[in-house]
Amino acid sequence: MGKLKETILTPILKGNPITVLVLGICSSLAVTVELKGALVMALSVTIVTGLSSFICSIIRNTIPNRVRIIVQLVVVALMVILVDQFLKAFEATYAIDKSLSVYIGLIITNCIVMGRIEAYALGNKPLPSLLDGLANGVGYGSILLIVAFFRELLGSGTLFGFKVIPQALYDAGYVNNGLVILPPFALILLGCIIWVHRSLDKTLQEK
Amino acid sequence: MNTDNNIYTIVYTTIVVVLVAAVLALVSQKLGPMQAANEKAETISQILTAAGFGDKNHWQEQGNAATLKFYRENIESSDLYDTTGGYVGALDFSRCEIYSTSELKAQDYAIRGKGGMPVLPVYRFSNGKVVIPVYGAGLWGPIWGYIALEEDLRTIAGAYFDHASETPGLGGKIKDDPAFRGQFAGRSIDFTDKSAPFHIVKGGAPEGKANAIDAITGATMTSRGLDAAITTWLNAYGKSLEVKEAPADSASVSNTTEEEQLWEN
Repeated sequence: MGKLKETILTPILKGNPITVLVLGICSSLAVTVELKGALVMALSVTIVTGLSSFICSIIRNTIPNRVRIIVQLVVVALMVILVDQFLKAFEATYAIDKSLSVYIGLIITNCIVMGRIEAYALGNKPLPSLLDGLANGVGYGSILLIVAFFRELLGSGTLFGFKVIPQALYDAGYVNNGLVILPPFALILLGCIIWVHRSLDKTLQEK
Repeated sequence: MNTDNNIYTIVYTTIVVVLVAAVLALVSQKLGPMQAANEKAETISQILTAAGFGDKNHWQEQGNAATLKFYRENIESSDLYDTTGGYVGALDFSRCEIYSTSELKAQDYAIRGKGGMPVLPVYRFSNGKVVIPVYGAGLWGPIWGYIALEEDLRTIAGAYFDHASETPGLGGKIKDDPAFRGQFAGRSIDFTDKSAPFHIVKGGAPEGKANAIDAITGATMTSRGLDAAITTWLNAYGKSLEVKEAPADSASVSNTTEEEQLWEN
């Protein structure tokens, strides 16, 4: 039981793919301008990592070692295309899928997905692999949402598209920060999150 | 079992690929109609945005059904012309029939003389705006859009562009940057200009040139592609935009023909 708990919690905290492993940085800078997009991206990555780890774990003993990476890639690509197709099919997600443009397709190249299959799914049973994949997706997604929260709040004055900064404040001279919208600020914010994370968890600090 | 055996590897990968292809084909077939409905509403919202009926976000909030309803209520005619300006037919706007992006691709192919006769749609709205599409190649994939003209068919009222896979923040600005789109309003197209009826100029449009706008910094290839697309399509439309324009000396005559044409449709 303790092992299972570890499987789920490690990727979210101690082994967070973004703040500790520093994987998947590219998309976390690109899709965090708005919470809505970040949430859809987080869910998509969670589903893709979870299911592709699950499938790869089921077939792990049959995969010819020489074409291992290619077979994994085919499975990941299948999942990504399926997610993309479903997002395009529903009216509520169609616009978000369009605004995420290439980044949904680029989940294929997200190091977290292939990394978890190689490091975990190929050596473990399907169910723990599924949980490991999902937990890594959640770990990735939670950072995405934290970054997007600050970027949307400070950059657009909204959360999930709803105005949260009162008009009175704008009338008093407050303006949205344009820098926050730009990718470099996401990197600064990410640096701050890593800083906070490491000062909270001393074991992560290098000597 | 020896999984490193050559035959095993070949058979295994073949089975995996066939299975994956089958799943994708099945899903694509099942979800196809829903995706097509979304794409149609998206295209109509782009046309409406170009024609000046509210901005793109407005239509997104309205949803598909309301967008289609508004289109039906505000479209006056959606006719098809060939490159000589001849009337070919009409799209059934009561069913919101439009030329989707995939059909624009075929038309672009035909315009550039690579087969078939192009059939060009002209959308005329109740607010007097006339919307025509453009289609071409950006840096990474197709780009397309809609240009709305005033009733004189020379002044540009507005424009909206979209792309398949331009770089966000650079080429993607043809869609995302309202300032770029905004440049089109009030400019004009000029068929007497020898080089092209409309220009997107790298380094800034020359002062006083009414048929030119600034290109996007850092997106030279996308800007060039859009420039080429607009030139190609405006030239293809040249005749149909002229036919309906009343020549100064025979204004009354051509007015009646235009009216007749509208009645016929």
